[in-house]
Amino acid sequence: MSKISPAGKVKSKKEKVKSMSNRFRFAFLLLTFALLTGCGVRADMQDQPRYKAYKQSDFFSDHKGSRDPVEGTVARGQLHDNKAFYTGKIDNPNLNAPVATAVDAKGNTVIASFPNDIDEFPVPVTKELIDRGQERFNIYCIVCHGPVGNGDGMIVRRGFPAPPTYHDDRLRNAPVGHFFDVISNGWGKMNAYAYQVQPADRWAIAAYIRALQVSQNPEEHLKMNSKTESNTAPPKKDETKNVSTNGGKR
Amino acid sequence: MAQFFNKSANNIARISMVMVVVLAGVGGFAFTQISRSSYLTGRYLEKQQPVQFSHKHHVGDDGIDCRYCHQTVETTASAGMPSTQTCMNCHSQLWADSPYLEPVRASFRDNKPIEWERVHDLPEYTYFNHSIHVAKGVGCSTCHGSIDKMPAVYQENTLQMEWCIACHRAPEKFIRPKSEIFNMAWQDGDLDSKERDKLKVDLKIRSKEMMTSCSTCHR
Repeated sequence: MSKISPAGKVKSKKEKVKSMSNRFRFAFLLLTFALLTGCGVRADMQDQPRYKAYKQSDFFSDHKGSRDPVEGTVARGQLHDNKAFYTGKIDNPNLNAPVATAVDAKGNTVIASFPNDIDEFPVPVTKELIDRGQERFNIYCIVCHGPVGNGDGMIVRRGFPAPPTYHDDRLRNAPVGHFFDVISNGWGKMNAYAYQVQPADRWAIAAYIRALQVSQNPEEHLKMNSKTESNTAPPKKDETKNVSTNGGKR
Repeated sequence: MAQFFNKSANNIARISMVMVVVLAGVGGFAFTQISRSSYLTGRYLEKQQPVQFSHKHHVGDDGIDCRYCHQTVETTASAGMPSTQTCMNCHSQLWADSPYLEPVRASFRDNKPIEWERVHDLPEYTYFNHSIHVAKGVGCSTCHGSIDKMPAVYQENTLQMEWCIACHRAPEKFIRPKSEIFNMAWQDGDLDSKERDKLKVDLKIRSKEMMTSCSTCHR
């Protein structure tokens, strides 16, 4: 009966429209819910699903969000083919070169000659370089080597084996490349500082160590010969005096 | 017809008008205080770390520079957490068999980073970069407090936007010379206001408009 009556026909059409809109509404709600919860959109903007430095990762098995570059990766401009600058070694090192030894104050036999290390700074030696070296020395080296390099830093006073002083003949005559090498690769009980001190800063520290050596032995000539800039003239007396040695000041 | 309202309703009406204002005021004040409380900001709450590391000992007693461990503070956004090798520079020899340091040795042996608890956690919709703050005269202790006196590090400030913007509006009140950035003993009184204004110019700190622009921190 209702099928025949026109009124009934209209009514059923209306019902159809209503149920369609309900279905739309339901689908819309479902979609919104899915977007809000399941599909990566999070209400919490405080902790966003992206990696910042040191953020833990649930994806990688070692949980490190910051990934190491693939082994052997060379970034643009970081080929490091300037051997003297990046290693402090001469061009054709002879690993079997005879090495002189000496006996230090404690009676230990120590290496006293460094035939494979360069004796020229691969960077221009300027006051800025030495100032930078002083700043870096007072961060990374002073803890053991002490303010003027006597090997009496705070960590040594806490019980760390004392490093040798910079002011004996063995290290005064050592080539600058030796200091670079020790910072880069460590020596004895000292760990490598390559991770903490970048190559340019290592040369700055080496220059500052030279300045410290002069400060403790004013008769000595500053051995700051540099390959890249003429700096080989023996320094005037007042120039060496300007080298600041208040390394202990913090 | 009887009176609909009792006569005392006059007083109740007057009192309730006052009370609405008072309650709104108290409620508003309570909101500002609760939202700044350490319960919500985490301020002053010491975090337990996997190793009992004491900044008081390493910085205060031993005088180790901040940058010995936090190497990248001058060059990158993150100040840098030390690798376990940095610990082992000294602790290969000192306290080398202490049970307290077993997590450090285990990390070094197994090549697994120590999982420290984050103390200062800025919301990730803010952009923050350590290197620019250090370069423009903001000292470590300006934000982090006297780390050299904290056995366990806690958050010294609220890290809320009002705290950030107080300095961005008037940086000359907080800055110090670049040579004193890592000096834990620096006091704000060490410079007078004239020297600070000059320092702001010398450090080339940008205008207030630039410093408080939304996209300076929300980018």
